[in-house]
Amino acid sequence: MITLGVESSAHTFGVGIVDKGKILANEKSMYKIGTTGMIPKKVAEFHAQNSGSVVEAALSKAGISIRDIDGIGYTRGPGIGNCLQVGQIVAKTLAHKLHVPIVPVNHGIGHIEIARIRSGLRDPVVLYVSGGNSQILKIAGGSSRHYGVLGETFDIGIGNMLDNFARAAHLNPAWGSTVEKEAQGGRYIEMPYTVKGMDFSFTGILTHSEKQLGKHSLRDICFSLQETSFSMLCEAIERAMLLTDSKELCVCGGVAQNARLKEMIGLIAAEHGARIGYAENEFNADNGAMIAFVAERMLKAGLGVRLNKCDIEQRYRIDSATVVG
Amino acid sequence: MKKIGEGAEALIYAAKIYGADVIIKYRQRKMYRAAELDTKLRKTRTRKEAKIIARVLEHGIPAPALIGIGNFSIYMERISGIMLKDTRISANDAALAGLLLGKLHNAGVTHGDFTPANLIKSGKNIRIIDFGLSNINKGSEERALDLLLMKRQLSPRLFSEFSSGYLKAADSGNDTIKRLEEILERGRYQTRTLA
Repeated sequence: MITLGVESSAHTFGVGIVDKGKILANEKSMYKIGTTGMIPKKVAEFHAQNSGSVVEAALSKAGISIRDIDGIGYTRGPGIGNCLQVGQIVAKTLAHKLHVPIVPVNHGIGHIEIARIRSGLRDPVVLYVSGGNSQILKIAGGSSRHYGVLGETFDIGIGNMLDNFARAAHLNPAWGSTVEKEAQGGRYIEMPYTVKGMDFSFTGILTHSEKQLGKHSLRDICFSLQETSFSMLCEAIERAMLLTDSKELCVCGGVAQNARLKEMIGLIAAEHGARIGYAENEFNADNGAMIAFVAERMLKAGLGVRLNKCDIEQRYRIDSATVVG
Repeated sequence: MKKIGEGAEALIYAAKIYGADVIIKYRQRKMYRAAELDTKLRKTRTRKEAKIIARVLEHGIPAPALIGIGNFSIYMERISGIMLKDTRISANDAALAGLLLGKLHNAGVTHGDFTPANLIKSGKNIRIIDFGLSNINKGSEERALDLLLMKRQLSPRLFSEFSSGYLKAADSGNDTIKRLEEILERGRYQTRTLA
């Protein structure tokens, strides 16, 4: 069964093609955020302009014809409405034209499941950290399996926090990976630290860091911002692992590409003798392959939906999405 | 000295000091944290916890007696009994737990991890342990979060016993219950399901 997945929840328009769990193609075009960040209408226009060529690139990479496709998946949410809509329309058009089944997929489930299954983990504590999302999860439920939320951000996602800081500091490109580069060799200055059980908050540290601009070196601020916010995540993960008595840990999402975060989580896993699975960076960044990967499993389980039921949901909660075993 | 427990931030040891049974809660070094942040967190949290235990005891609320404080460790009385979570919780237990939480809130203390795992039952009495996530003089939001944790752990029947015990004791109990209802209605958490 060959499944094509479309992802367009934020800055990336991605198309992936999967055949029985094997990834045949993972093509994308990414909106350049420059120093202004994402303006929804502009990003959606960019996606609309590039969607055709990304679909074609994926088909040619996979070495298949469009007629070989047996099923379609697309990101239903969470994400930016304007952007989600473009992917949804592309997916519906393809499904309609090809007369193949279609299924809406939760974006976060895409990141988590491709990481969990490809690293051979069964029932890990999951840290999902991206721009809009920061959550600690574990599979729950008997008859209707889903990811239960053990802990999450009270306000903004950690990636969003880093991106916001990058914009305030006029970094280019204005996002987290530039903060990571600037942080090399910094010294620690004090920052607000907010963890409540397994939940955390990032707006306080964002405001504080912005106020430090000009008072401390950019390097020290970036370093301390990373050290403090990542330590918050680490404390929550450690608590989740002890509470659920878990020896498996899965880390995914855009911020999981950060080398320092990986190093810190690696130390926790080592201390507790836990097995750790990371997504490959290709799947930590937003991509179509993860959507195709999950869509294939959902379609096989008979979770396809009618075309007129294919909607988008900007605030599609991860714990309301069914997970196929 | 024998290790009897491990939490996310501390190791728990049992020891005998001058013949008395003592619990030592030691916040160990976390290798993942920058050294400055690590020392700061361990020191401030240890001091804060000890200060809160003292305050709780001053208000006559049953908690472990405070014996001593080190840089990163707290020495406490070892309480004999069984965790409420390991018993069949009765209506009386739930009401008493509510009453204790009400008194705790009257003393200006929010617990931060008020669950049946942190309530020790011996005979008819219940004592509160683990003030590691506690705070002083926070608003109704923090108080409501204490109730929320209990709501997640108890059956609706037991939670109603719990909240009537709470309302009997707590000075601003109605405010807190109202805030709890608000929290439960917030969009982000409306559908939140726990693992």
